[in-house]
Amino acid sequence: MEVKADLTLDLKGLLCPMPVVKINQAIKNVPIGGIIEAYATDPGVMADIPAWCRSTGNELVTIEKQDKVIRFVVRRLK
Amino acid sequence: MSEHVRQALAVFEKSLDRRLLAALEVCARCGICAESCHVFAAEPDFRNAPAAKAEAVRRFYRRLHDPIGRWFPWWVGAKDLTEADLEELAEIAFGACTLCRRCTMNCPMGVDTALIMRAARAMLTAVGKAPEMLAQLADAAIAREENLEFFREFYIDQIRELERELQEQTGDPDARIPVEKVGAEILYVALSGAHTILPAAILFHAVGADWTLSLFEAANYGYFLADLQRAKAIARRIVDEARRLGVKEIILAECGHAYTVLRWEAPNWFDDFPFRVRSIIEAAAEWIQQGRLPLDPSANPEPVTYHDSCNLGRNGGLLEEPRVILRAVVQDFREMTPNRAENFCCGGGAGLVAVPEWYEKRMRAGRRKVEQIRQTGARIVVASCDNCRLQLGDLSEYYGLGVRVSGLMDLVVNAYLAARVKAAVPAVPARVHAGEPV
Repeated sequence: MEVKADLTLDLKGLLCPMPVVKINQAIKNVPIGGIIEAYATDPGVMADIPAWCRSTGNELVTIEKQDKVIRFVVRRLK
Repeated sequence: MSEHVRQALAVFEKSLDRRLLAALEVCARCGICAESCHVFAAEPDFRNAPAAKAEAVRRFYRRLHDPIGRWFPWWVGAKDLTEADLEELAEIAFGACTLCRRCTMNCPMGVDTALIMRAARAMLTAVGKAPEMLAQLADAAIAREENLEFFREFYIDQIRELERELQEQTGDPDARIPVEKVGAEILYVALSGAHTILPAAILFHAVGADWTLSLFEAANYGYFLADLQRAKAIARRIVDEARRLGVKEIILAECGHAYTVLRWEAPNWFDDFPFRVRSIIEAAAEWIQQGRLPLDPSANPEPVTYHDSCNLGRNGGLLEEPRVILRAVVQDFREMTPNRAENFCCGGGAGLVAVPEWYEKRMRAGRRKVEQIRQTGARIVVASCDNCRLQLGDLSEYYGLGVRVSGLMDLVVNAYLAARVKAAVPAVPARVHAGEPV
């Protein structure tokens, strides 16, 4: 899915819980309605990022595997 | 008195059991605890001494419960708790104490300062003054269970990919990572991500264990918050899963606080807890002692040292098992000094590594650990806890240590795979069930 991101994060090589920690830090730097696009390699994000979005009330726009890299897009709602 | 202070004191009063009362009452102000604390060792300021940190709680405890403190507070250093004190307490209880209990070990009176800090953490969590990140990670874990159908698909997809890697590494096209296998003997609870799943899967395959992988991760951020309700909710997911599958044993990934929670706390939280709980460290040490894992230590030729995680070692009793493993899987094992129950905390425990704003604080708190590692001359530092591993990796980068940080099971797998190549061990070993004589 093509989106215009306000912020792009490279989280490759980071292990749990650091991808969630980094997203939590970064979301404060985009406006409400703003979009973060991130790339990670730890498969744990496939469960952790959707769970974090649910518990914080932000929107997981997409999460997909591109070979060894996981791309996900989060929209700040709060 | 503000509403926050009222709420915080209500939580404090609830947690005042005999153990906490003893910890609050018996400090003799001798100061021996100071030098036992890694925070004080790195920054020898009296405010970093465990007794001084606990004083932030004792001050309002005396105001409320000491007869002299009630009438003549100035006489005994008693003070009403204020909103500003709560802010200070958050810095102390979450940012300046990793609940490592080295001070308790070295206190002539056995004062459990970590218990006092946990009481403070519970108060702070109840009034929303705990680090936001820890609360979010705890809530995300709970959300994972509440939306299990949604997550299952993601998770299984991830596991199938790891399974292909397992088949490649073992040379066995039938090697599996079973998930939700009813009637399995062992429920293995990993951490989020592949690094604690694949090495364990290789070892379970090697010994022919009858196992299944948990849908949930072992980490429990509710425990770091000292929030019993959240901690229980996170642990309950695993306990319910173990009951549903009818397993006999829960084996935990290399994780310090998860071991404390599921091995020592959870059996007291739930009435029906008919499982044995072990760390994979204990299982691997047993397999090695039983001769069930062929190992070639030449696969790990570099000098290795071992960092005892506070939760596993000092507070969990796993002191010799890691050493049984290391002596079997590496060529050059070097102890750091002090070690075992007297080992210093890495400075990142009890959730500190997950709080970005405390990065500098934990780098300073890790100075003593850096000296310990440097003195060994090791090139690899092994830690059996993800919290410690993250902190040790950051310390290595920050202080230019140039060491590689590894888990224990990674080294076991190296040695196992090398031995298989050497001895041409068959790809599919004879099926042996855990506990059966070999």
